[in-house]
This record gives sequence, C-alpha cells and structure tokens, in this order.
Amino acid sequence: MPIEAADCRTPFGDARATSAALLGGRRALCPCPVLGPDGGDLVPLALLSARALGETAPPGWLPCLDGLAAGIPQGPWGGPRHPVFMTSSNFGVGSLFAFQRDRDPRHIEYCMPYSMSEVLRQRFGWGSNVTLVSHACVSAHIGLLLASRCLRSGSAERALVFTFDFISPFVTAGFHALKILNAGMPAPYAALPTGSIGLGDGAAFAVLGRPGSGFCLSAQTLHNEMHHFTANDPAGAGFAASLAPVRAAAGGRRVWLKGHGTGTLEAGRLEAEAFARHFPDSPLVSWKGSLGHTLGSCGLVELPLAIEAMRSGRAPGTVGTAPPCFTDNVATEAFSTAGFDGAVIAGNAFGGAHASLLLGHD
Amino acid sequence: MIEREIILLGIEDPGSEELDATRTRLRGLFAKGATRRMTQLGLLMGSVLEPMRASGADTVVYASKYGESRALRDYLASFPSASPTLFQTSIHPSAVQQVLVARQQPVREFLPLAGDAQIVAHAAQAALLAPAPSVVFCGGEECIAWSDNDKASSPAAFAFALLLSNGGARGLGTLRLEACDDGAGDLALPAFFAALRGRRPLDRIAAPGMRLILEWR
Amino acid sequence: MSDPLNSRLKNLIVSTLKLEDVDPASIPDDAPLIGSGLDLDSIDALELVVAVEKEFGVKIASSEESRAALASVSQLAAYIRTHAPSDRSLG
Repeated sequence: MPIEAADCRTPFGDARATSAALLGGRRALCPCPVLGPDGGDLVPLALLSARALGETAPPGWLPCLDGLAAGIPQGPWGGPRHPVFMTSSNFGVGSLFAFQRDRDPRHIEYCMPYSMSEVLRQRFGWGSNVTLVSHACVSAHIGLLLASRCLRSGSAERALVFTFDFISPFVTAGFHALKILNAGMPAPYAALPTGSIGLGDGAAFAVLGRPGSGFCLSAQTLHNEMHHFTANDPAGAGFAASLAPVRAAAGGRRVWLKGHGTGTLEAGRLEAEAFARHFPDSPLVSWKGSLGHTLGSCGLVELPLAIEAMRSGRAPGTVGTAPPCFTDNVATEAFSTAGFDGAVIAGNAFGGAHASLLLGHD
Repeated sequence: MIEREIILLGIEDPGSEELDATRTRLRGLFAKGATRRMTQLGLLMGSVLEPMRASGADTVVYASKYGESRALRDYLASFPSASPTLFQTSIHPSAVQQVLVARQQPVREFLPLAGDAQIVAHAAQAALLAPAPSVVFCGGEECIAWSDNDKASSPAAFAFALLLSNGGARGLGTLRLEACDDGAGDLALPAFFAALRGRRPLDRIAAPGMRLILEWR
Repeated sequence: MSDPLNSRLKNLIVSTLKLEDVDPASIPDDAPLIGSGLDLDSIDALELVVAVEKEFGVKIASSEESRAALASVSQLAAYIRTHAPSDRSLG
C-alpha cells in the first residue's frame, strides 16, 4: 500500500527534526511530577514545549495538531471516498481528569473519544466519515490496517490515518500505579535489574493510497494473546505468532527492526529474543528511550521516523541504552540503512496485543 | 457490496440493572472468583459472547461509545492513590479483554472502535472487510450514575454479539454494506441494538458512502 | 499466637481485593500470595501495594521490588517493618 505522505510531531518537532535529535542521541524525556500540578514522584515524561501536564480548556495541545494537520495533502477528508481513521489510546481523557479535578464544565466537550473527535473533525473541516480506533498502544497500527483494507476493497481512493496521544495525570498516575513508570530513565532492551518506561506526547498522520513518499506498507499483522492484561505469555508465543507472518512477507529482503521497546524488562526481553530468532541478522532499535512511549500513537509517530531513516541513509540507535543488552542484535548506536530493503515496525499493548508492519520502497 | 451471514446472535438488555445484580445474575458463566474485578460491561459482553468461541484465527470487532464508564469514574475517584486495577480496567477495550483473558482465548485480530453516529457502519465495515472466515461483531454500553457529566455514560446498559461467517452456511440473516454517493448518514449503537433485539430489518445510510442493510430469515 | 501485623495484612488483602468467600484467618503466613491458592495475579499485587502504601506509609518503587515484598504475608510484614516510617503503628 503506497504511502503518499507521512509526518509526526514530538517534543523535538516534525519527523526531520525528531530524527536529527535522535541521531544526536538527545532525550526528550525529563523528570516531571507524576501528578503534574499536584506534585508526586518524579517520572520521565516528554511533553511538548511550554505544555504543563495538567489540562486546560480547550486543551493546550490543539495548536500542535493544527500544525500537523496543515501538512496533510489536500483532499475531501471525511467524505465517502476519503475516509479518516482517527486513532488514540487517550483521546481527551486528560480533559476528563481535569474536569474531575476542578469541575470546570468547559472540559466536558473534550473528555470522551466521540466528543473530542467531533471537535477535531469540525476544527479541520472534515466530513463525518471518521472511524475512531482505540486499542491502547496498537491503536495506530490498527488504523493503518483498516485504512489499507478499505483502499484494497475499492471503497476509498485515499485514506488518512491521524493519531495523537497527549499525556495527562490520568495516564501517568495509572502507569505509576502499575509500577512501570518509575524514577529511572528508560533503557529499552538493556539487561538491567529494574526497568522503567517514560511517557511522551506524540501525534502523526499518514495518507495512503497513492505514491508520493517513495515508500509503501507491504505487510501488516496483528495477534492478541489474551493471556493477561499486563503480562505476555512467558514462552514468547505471542511475539512468535506476530512476527512469523512478517518474516514470511519479508522473504529474502534485508530489513532492520524498529521494535516496541518501552524499557520494561520482561516484555523487552521477550521481544528482543523473538526478533533475534526470527530476524537473526537484523539490527533492532527502539526510540522510546528518548521520546518516551507515545502510547496509542507510537506506531504512526515512529513510521515517518523510519521513513526518514531510510531516506537519509542513517537510522538512530537505541538512545538511552548501553550494553549489555538482552540480545546481541540491539543497536545502541546509529547505523547506515544503505543495503537494507526495508524495516519492520512493531508495537505491543495491554492484553498481549501485537502489531507489526513491513515498510519498504515503493 | 460486502456481506456476511449472521450465524449466531447474542443479546443482553438489562436496562438500568445495577452492577451487583448483573454480577449475581451472570456469575455462573465465569470461573469461581473471576467476576470480582469484572465491570458490568465486561459481564454483559461475557454473556453475549458465551456461545461464540472465537479461535486463534478469527477476528473480533468491538464497538462502544462510552466504554468503561464506571471504571473511569471510580479510577478518577481513587486519586491521589491511583488504583492500578481501575486504571487497567478503564482502558478501552477492556470489556472484551476481560472475557477473552478469563478464557485464555487468543484471537488473530481484535479491532476495537469508539465513536457515535457512524460507529455501527465503521465497525460493520471492519467486520465485513476482515479476511478471517469467522468474525465476531460485538458491542455495548454499561449504565452508571455520573452526576454533572452527562457526556460520559450511557442512559441504558445493553450488549450484543453477532457471529458472522463468509463460509456459505445459511444462518439467521445477513449483514451487508453497499457503497453509495450519499455524503451524510448515521446509525448509532442503541438503534442498531434495537433492531437486533427485535430482529427487525434495517436499510439506511449509516455513514457517508455506506448503506447498511440488515436482513432476517 | 498469630502475629498482629500478619492478621492486619490478611484483613487488608481480603477487603482490598474483594475476596468475598475468603476468611482472612485461612490465608497462610508463608504461602505464595501470587499464583497459588488465592488465585491472585500481578494486578492484585499492585493493588495491594497501593493499599500498603496508604495504610503503612511504605513506598515500593518498582514492579521488581513489589514482587519480592509480596512473596508471602510474612515477607510483606517483614518489608513493612523494615521500611515503614517510625511514627506508624504496626500492631
């Protein structure tokens, strides 16, 4: 499926600026109070510049989405043959938290997925053919899959996948309570005694259906373990079930790997080992040690970064991680993408959800 | 035109039933102790999914406008000592995950949607375009009292599940989407549920460019 | 005679995790809390951590530390005795 255009926004800026920052080994994460204005333990967060963790009404991150949306190729988005797939694990839940905290009714119109999407639809002048996808950290992957299917069926000419996740105390407190958003900076795939994730703001879009970027999605897979809400099958069966079809689709092509790699220990180890088994000659990176985990948007935030890496000839390494790592294929330093035919971009989510896609040249 | 046969239909219509009453009524469907952390929506989804045992090759499409209203409300009330259980449970699409994790039932594709006026059309599209031979298309809402925020909870609880097949067997009816040129259309979950509950036909523009037809034998 | 802190923890476990059919006195002091007779899992463990933090003022920093602290009722009691602020009553 050809990718006409794609871009992202992180605390570093667009895909090009973010890629440059990653290549420079910079971290967007810094210690912030987990409850924002109400204080609490310090945890690693990567927020858009000049944004505080607490939510305003309207949300302070809307101008960021304006900037991102301005880069979307023109089209009658939201019309019958130009569907929009809007994905998020949060939508406006920060506004729901803010309403609970300060009882300002101005937060209410942003607080639910259906109401936040209506705000955005009207803000960007889109029609009502907007599918909302919300499946935690694989939301964007699913949006890309549904968009591809819609295009392949002939029911659309082009499809826009639009994703965003902005951090709030709702989500930071939750991950902190799960003891996975802790004080330490994340070091994806590092063999350490304790692990931590970081959380980050992220937004992105991709337009599919026409050539334009020089790249395409050539395979997309999903698998759901349903083993436990917050733990994977310890034998790694879920990772294997997700990666085997992508391995088959890659065939003899030489690919590098952009893993999920949030900084947790057990899942990180299982993921690294699964990649090492299925793609033994491929370097594995994660960028969440710098950008934080951008939750539902991560699959699409990281797609234009992977495109930039292929285009520029240089992929950022796993920022924040130093050896020893779980497996030898973890690339802690930047490397050349010359000679690689594509990349596998993978994501995981609560419930043992797995998603992966194969990015290649058009 | 994309179409699947409706092989099985599951319905729960508890209206304004309280959570404890739902748990007492449905606990026999689950293993001992399994319902203590389940939400009302999870219990209802468990009931409608009971006869539909998806396999690892199947697809499950789930649609809910409000999701886990009670867990959201109670999680917010747990601050500043945020409850990890309520956080976990509040995240869409928890209700179906509660059921499938309890069953230890992996599925190939799990496609959870949110939304309002076009949610049925988009969920139906996801179900009908899925390549799996069997697709479970399910959805629902739970009902709670959430004072001063009427945007956050459904006025009534309900749940449905359809087992859809493209295998050629004749079942209860068909679900079909046809392309059309109309730029406007809507069909929200309560109206779709009402049609399923009463086994009434539907034929309407459910989203821009999508005509949804539900027929019964 | 049962350690009063152990008894207090058993009551906390039953009430926090809504174990309706469990008599707190029936929970063994040294049996694993997670993955055995009570059918508790890692999320239950984390819910207990929040309850312990509120009740005893003890901070458990990571999932790895919580796994060690919650190995059994006795282990948890020992962890609390070691880490609780001196002004907290543990009786």
